[in-house]
Amino acid sequence: MVVFALFVINKAGGLVYNREFHTGMTKLTSNDYLTLAGSFHGMHAITARLSPAPPVPNPLPASTAPSPFINRPTGLEVLESSHFRIQCFQTQTGTKFLLFTEPQQPNVDAMIKRIYELYADYVMKNPFYTVEMPIRCEKFDRGLDGFVKVRG
Amino acid sequence: MVLYSFYIFDRHTECIYSRRWTPRPASSGKSARPASNSSNLSAADATHLPTRRALTHSDDEKLVFGLVFSLRNLVTKLGGDDDTFLSYRTGEYKLHYYETPTRMKFVMLTDTKVVNLRQHLHQIWAQLYVEYVVKNPLAPTEHPGGIGVANEMFEAGLETFITKVLPV
Repeated sequence: MVVFALFVINKAGGLVYNREFHTGMTKLTSNDYLTLAGSFHGMHAITARLSPAPPVPNPLPASTAPSPFINRPTGLEVLESSHFRIQCFQTQTGTKFLLFTEPQQPNVDAMIKRIYELYADYVMKNPFYTVEMPIRCEKFDRGLDGFVKVRG
Repeated sequence: MVLYSFYIFDRHTECIYSRRWTPRPASSGKSARPASNSSNLSAADATHLPTRRALTHSDDEKLVFGLVFSLRNLVTKLGGDDDTFLSYRTGEYKLHYYETPTRMKFVMLTDTKVVNLRQHLHQIWAQLYVEYVVKNPLAPTEHPGGIGVANEMFEAGLETFITKVLPV
C-alpha cells in the first residue's frame, strides 16, 4: 500500500501543510502546490453547488433549533484518476484534509480520521500554533511518520 | 442506479448535448436557513427568498465544464501527462468523465453507488455519437449550439442504451 502525500487546506483555501511520504507524483514547486490547493478549494465549493439530488428533509422535529450542519451538500469526497486517488475530508470548520493514495487503497476513511485526530492532538492543542497559519509542529510530523510507516 | 444528467462538450468548450432526468431542486440554497418562528415553519419556508439565485440549466452546464476542465488539469499536473481523470464522488452524487482523443468530453452524473462508467461513456461515443452524429451526412462538422447532435436516431439510441446497457 502506498500513501503518496497529505495536504491540509485551511478554510480560506490556503495550503497550510504539505507532506510527501512516497515518490510517485510529479514534483512541483511550492508555488504550484499553493495554486493547486487554492483551485481545489474552489472546485470543492462548485461540486457542492452542483448537487442534483433533491435535499433530504430535515430529520429533526421542527421544534428543535435547526443545525447548520445537516442538509448541507458535502462537496467532493473521493476523486479517482488512473494513477492515484484523492480522498478529501472536510471538518465542520472548513479545514480540508487531502490524502493522495494508490487507486486501490482500502480503509482510507479510517486513515484520514486518524490523521484528523493527530491534527487535533498535536496541532490544535499546541499553544504556539496560530490557527489558519502554516503548520510547523514536529510532533505532528513524527506522529504522521509513525502512523504511515506502521501502516506501510 | 439513479441517473441524474448527461452532458457532451465539444473541443470549443461548448455544451452540444445535455439531458436531465431530475428537475433542478427549487429549494437549493435555502434548505439550511433557520426560520424565525417554528409554529409557521412551512409558511416561512415557502415565502422567504433563497440566499442565492437558483442555478439555471445553462449555469449548470458551464459549471460542469469548468469543473471537469480544472480537475483534469489538476490530475495531469500531479500525475503526469499520461494520467487521466476518471470520476469523483461527493456525499450526494458521482460524476463520471470520459474524454475522446479529439478533446470531446462526456460527463454523466449518477448516484454514489455506481461503479466507474468510463467504459459505458466510451461506448456512447463509439456506438452512438460516431454512428449517428459524425456519420450523418446532413450534420455539420462542428456543432455550434448543439445543431445536429440531438437527432432522432441519437436520442432513440441513447434511450435504449440507458435502459438496456447501463448497470441497474
